[in-house]
Amino acid sequence: MASRPPRKFWAGRRSRSAADGETILDALARDGFPNLVRSVRYHRPRGPFCGTGDCTGCLVRLNGRVNVRACRRVVEEGDRVGDGNAWPSPSFDLLGVLDFLFPDGVDTLRGFRRPAWARGLYHAVNRRLAGYGAPPDPAPTGPAETPAERLQTEVAIVGAGTAGRAAAAAARAHGRSVVLIDRRTDVPPEPGVELRAGTTATFLSPPAGNGVWTLLSFREPEQGVLVRARSVVVATGSYDGPLLFGGNDRPGVVAAELALRWARDGRRSPLRGVLVVGGGRRASAVVERLGSTVVAVTAPADIGPEVTRAASERKIPLYPRSLVVRARGHGRVRAVELRGRSGGPRFSVRCDGVVLAHRRLPVAQLAFQAGAERAWNPSLEAYVPRTGADGVTTVTGLYVAGSAAGGAPDGSAESGTRAGASAAASASPAGAAATSPAAAPGPLAGYYRELLRERRAGKWVACSCEDVLLSEVERASARGYAGIEVVKRYTGLGTGLCQGRYCLPDALLLLSILEGRPPSEVGFITQRPPAVPTPLGALADLGDSISSEVIP
Amino acid sequence: MTIPRDRYRTVIVGAGIVGLFTAYRLARAGAGPTLVLDRGFLSSGGSGRNGGGIRQQWETRSTIRLARESVRAYRAFGREFGYNIWFRQGGYLFLAESDAELARLRGVRDLLVSEGLPCRLVDPDGLAALVPGIARGAAVGGSYLASDGTLYPFPAVWGLYEAVRSLGVDVVLGAEARGVSTSDGRVRGVVTAAGTVGAETVVNAAGGWSGEFSRSAGLDVPNVATRHEILATEPMKPLLDPMVVRPRDGLYFSQTLRGELVGGLTVPHAPGTARGVPSSPRFLASMATALVGLLPRLRSLSVLRAWTGYYDDTPDGFPVIGEDPRLPGFVHANGFGGHGFMLAPAASRRVAAAVMHERIDLDPSESSPARFFGPAAAVRAERLQLG
Repeated sequence: MASRPPRKFWAGRRSRSAADGETILDALARDGFPNLVRSVRYHRPRGPFCGTGDCTGCLVRLNGRVNVRACRRVVEEGDRVGDGNAWPSPSFDLLGVLDFLFPDGVDTLRGFRRPAWARGLYHAVNRRLAGYGAPPDPAPTGPAETPAERLQTEVAIVGAGTAGRAAAAAARAHGRSVVLIDRRTDVPPEPGVELRAGTTATFLSPPAGNGVWTLLSFREPEQGVLVRARSVVVATGSYDGPLLFGGNDRPGVVAAELALRWARDGRRSPLRGVLVVGGGRRASAVVERLGSTVVAVTAPADIGPEVTRAASERKIPLYPRSLVVRARGHGRVRAVELRGRSGGPRFSVRCDGVVLAHRRLPVAQLAFQAGAERAWNPSLEAYVPRTGADGVTTVTGLYVAGSAAGGAPDGSAESGTRAGASAAASASPAGAAATSPAAAPGPLAGYYRELLRERRAGKWVACSCEDVLLSEVERASARGYAGIEVVKRYTGLGTGLCQGRYCLPDALLLLSILEGRPPSEVGFITQRPPAVPTPLGALADLGDSISSEVIP
Repeated sequence: MTIPRDRYRTVIVGAGIVGLFTAYRLARAGAGPTLVLDRGFLSSGGSGRNGGGIRQQWETRSTIRLARESVRAYRAFGREFGYNIWFRQGGYLFLAESDAELARLRGVRDLLVSEGLPCRLVDPDGLAALVPGIARGAAVGGSYLASDGTLYPFPAVWGLYEAVRSLGVDVVLGAEARGVSTSDGRVRGVVTAAGTVGAETVVNAAGGWSGEFSRSAGLDVPNVATRHEILATEPMKPLLDPMVVRPRDGLYFSQTLRGELVGGLTVPHAPGTARGVPSSPRFLASMATALVGLLPRLRSLSVLRAWTGYYDDTPDGFPVIGEDPRLPGFVHANGFGGHGFMLAPAASRRVAAAVMHERIDLDPSESSPARFFGPAAAVRAERLQLG
């Protein structure tokens, strides 16, 4: 990359500098672990978690705009980065006293009803505590608006990873026009394919009688992108799954994705000594990349040979088959308490971070949104779109490939090629599901069953976007509210900015334990559009091109 | 899904706000064994999908009075049911874009004032104070009533559900009512997937499915299920106190306790609304255009999620409350046109009265099922339908 002078910007009333093309988060992480936001109910310190723009851990106010993901926005000269939801600042927030005042949480469903004269006060206080940032400025500054883009193609492919690229190549080979879009900005071009990098697909809507799919997308900050296609391949990959434990929302608990990102290019990562959770390939990649900054590796189950080899080279201790019980520390993880699953006392591992690499889960909201039937995948202990061998779903013209369909990483290329060919040939959809017997609880469900028996201290956050505690989920269950759809409405779990990504997978397992039935019977949250929060400006700019459509 | 008894005095179809409130009134009155059936899970229908708006600004006295009674009931809800519905009386602001619309709102204002409700007209400066950042020239004025407001719908459903169960009402979820059994020209029971259950009275409180249920009982009713779409934005700190409504395009939005803007607008759906169709790109784009046009500062605010539900519409905009004269034992509690939550506390008293064969304190020409087929055809209509 051509070296350009560093860019100056403002954050926390201080002048900072960023390399050309660097995101706000990465620039801030040079000075230590960034504390940018407080949680929405208890004002708990939060740090960046996912590194992909999905969690609420790096929301900032940028040039008068609200809820900007610092991990996705590249620094522009003169940017002004403000704090959200904290006073006076996220690292020292007086409202954080709420977290100490209410160690077991507050009951907003049943509490704050009396006395009647205080109702107005409760409303006023609650409204001011809620929400992340202040409303957008009447006239925010920033780059001029870019007009919306409209694209037409025979095959649209979402995701330019291994599976998506293979699908694009296969569809091209069958003579189809292809538009390939990806949320990431650093995607290499694909010959003969219209590539749109930095473009987030948010709403995939099936044809309304005319055989043409509509895919609403946007580019930062507010440019609308509309893709019309005859068929669509969803190859949106997978993400690092969550893990529930005491203090699981503490700054320093991060997804493998973010730890890997910060360990790239010889950067100085703000994570200096981490506990890695996971025993498979993802964990071994983390150990390889983070090297000596890994202080220990633990896993809910066994630790595989790759991790064992990588760890023994570096004399890193291993704690297989262990419960992660609690992260200690307030503004930052200081230590983690573990317990062997076969028994024994709890012990503590000193660390300044926890890297979650125990579980990869499919990103398939677009497919579910478009009506694809789901199937419980017992080895992932999660739902995947039900697909045939050639990537066909139960919806005409919709195909899913690679790890988005629950496939293993080394099968992505082949899966993509087949789905691309199916899309090119408009292969018929998969038939209705044969009723399969309810899946037996898997290993992670067993892990949680054991964990729930642990003595608890501190808050266990079942949904970090909305600060919903595990105890609230248990209370809902104890009062007779069953099934994920009802518990979602009762507790607010899954209604926050990550769209359920970081709470729903565990919530299904927890409810299966609390309700005494297989996770596949607990149900699923309807995947509502948009898949990723989408600026009103981007949607408004697309208004005239879709405002005359007939809705069935 | 088993039904605890094989006979009930009353079976209510629909465990939404209207059905549960009716069950509560009946149980409190000691009206005999009551069963509530629902095809889905609790709050899966309109009662879990609405924007939580509660207003008294209407164009007819009867609706104003029902709404006023409901406002009082919702203020007392927390005390009575143990759940906090966070009913915040931040007002309703109707926008007028022309002098003609303003004249219409002036008529609404006069009617409300004559009913003792201090509704007032707002000039453009007043609009700017109530809607900070409203686009210049977006409206010429509006009408505002401070005691209108918004509530959080879910806890109202939980509170009622727990209350009726503790009063001995059976609530069976996931049990669709498929029709009624009759003999000698009157209702004898309800046919469900789990078999037929005996009933002296059946209450049709099925919301967006009530037209279908009436027809399954052989009753020709004009109820139409109309799909409606709604969205929520990301949360932010307080921007807006009132619910804002624009009659021209049916735009309405308010800011919830959690800081999200929640609202919708009317987009035409093809006739014969299909079930199970998710949100549409057209709605998202139209709603975004309307919001950004009215409040340009919202451009950078993101939409978090969108969902759909069904209005249960009637031709004249009034609900249908009372026993169907064509089928004794069949009581209507439907046709609320997207305002079931708003009117349920008051309307459910009249429904319970109908079940117990007591006098209903409503003008039959604005409530009775007979107005659609009897000699007294509807003369009035409630047209202030939006928001």
